[in-house]
Amino acid sequence: MTASVLDGIVLGLQFGLLAAGLTLVYGLGGVLNLAYGQMAVISAMATLFAIESGVPTLPAIGIGLAVGVVLGLIFDQTILRPIYRLQGEARVLLSLLLTLGVAFIVDGYLTWRYPTEGLTIRIEGGPIDILGVPMRRGSIVASVITLVALGALFAFFRGTMLGRAVRSVIEDEEGARLVGIDPQRMLRIILALSGLLAAMVAVTQSMVRPVTVSAGFGITVFALIVTVVGGLGSVTGAMLAGVILGIVSSIAASSIGTFLSLIILLGAAGVTILIRPAGLLGVKE
Amino acid sequence: MLEVRGLAAGYQGGEVIRDVDFHVDSGEAVMIIGSNGAGKTTLFRSVLGLLAPSSGQVLFEGSDIVGMQAQRIARLGISFVPAERRLFPRMSVYENLSLGAYPDRPDPETVELVMDLFPRLAERRRQHAGTMSGGEQQMLAMGRALMAKPRLLVLDEPTTGLAPKLAAEAYRALGALRGRGLTVLVAEQQVPLAMAFSDRGYVIENGVIELEGTSEALAKNPEVRRSYLGVT
Repeated sequence: MTASVLDGIVLGLQFGLLAAGLTLVYGLGGVLNLAYGQMAVISAMATLFAIESGVPTLPAIGIGLAVGVVLGLIFDQTILRPIYRLQGEARVLLSLLLTLGVAFIVDGYLTWRYPTEGLTIRIEGGPIDILGVPMRRGSIVASVITLVALGALFAFFRGTMLGRAVRSVIEDEEGARLVGIDPQRMLRIILALSGLLAAMVAVTQSMVRPVTVSAGFGITVFALIVTVVGGLGSVTGAMLAGVILGIVSSIAASSIGTFLSLIILLGAAGVTILIRPAGLLGVKE
Repeated sequence: MLEVRGLAAGYQGGEVIRDVDFHVDSGEAVMIIGSNGAGKTTLFRSVLGLLAPSSGQVLFEGSDIVGMQAQRIARLGISFVPAERRLFPRMSVYENLSLGAYPDRPDPETVELVMDLFPRLAERRRQHAGTMSGGEQQMLAMGRALMAKPRLLVLDEPTTGLAPKLAAEAYRALGALRGRGLTVLVAEQQVPLAMAFSDRGYVIENGVIELEGTSEALAKNPEVRRSYLGVT
């Protein structure tokens, strides 16, 4: 049981980080990015190719993260341009269609060109005992990195003027403009951050299990589930929902089976949405 | 300081304000009074870049700011407190204030000035803005606007929805700010308070400036007395 909970926390932290990148872009720009998983996969592939061409692991990870940031910025400057011109529901719809299209193209190309590639980052060393449970070193390193990233995210949003400015746009866009904040600029920053988070998810996940070229849609779907349960636009909600769903999924997997755990995960998400349509920490429109 | 010439603006249904001229000189307190729907809010929104005017000029310290985005106008030294206040509800009082100073860090002296002016904000520093009463939110909106150290403060109906005591308190604070040399432009339906506070005023009706003059002269005008001061 303790082992399942710990595994669940490892998984849940990843879920949380995963959802944070998606929920921020939605909260700020009303854009649901269905190509989010592909952003993670492209970053993973960049890291993989760097390692294969002889770059040491750590700089290769750096390259992957940089690729994530650049992807976010390219998104902001290209396919999101026509989306920004629309408002409200039309904006969400067009963002779904365009990003889904991009996701299919990227996914198709990658699985065609590199059908068998996958990124695995091996962390050397034996298991580490946590509360009497031997945990794989890769899981521990991935969780520590995720926790540090989440901490940095919180520090950015709470403690810096720029982070507060980003939150203020989520809170009230017109109010933000009245104090001199340019919402478009904040959105650009958040897309870069979202790309960085996608890349971090890919890197940390590859320490636990391989990130294959076709992992993109799975990543997006998990991110969406966690985002919806946590409340769209709420980073704290994403964290909370991530850890809860991670533990639920892990306990279900160990006591019932992996296949059913996915159904239970979806069930838990469905029940949450029935009880709280805005998500755990979401605000009603 | 602010000069508006021939301003016209509206929404898709047609023009709401037409050919509006007014000006605010440095150090003055100017009021724009008019009944509900007369065009006060449309006028302010088009002056402050939240609504694109269809024609006219808005000069701030000599340069034309028509067509400029609200966020750029805000950084020129004009702070606007809209009637809906537009606070950040899930952020604390202090965070709301600090954002008023954006992109700079909040200046401790200005924070102190705001807290002195509105002691309630000091008591509720950590409370979320969305959980405060209407009066407190109005104080916070004014405080946030002051954090940018504006040269011109523009307020749209600062007393709407406030109890008389709180409305009076809002104007007492504005009076104190004037004493420090701040220029103020206020739109108001609660005319007696605004009249006692301002030097000059304009009366807007159906989107057109109908009357203008010193507050004293307007207070004596029989039409103003009948329509806005409740004197028959």
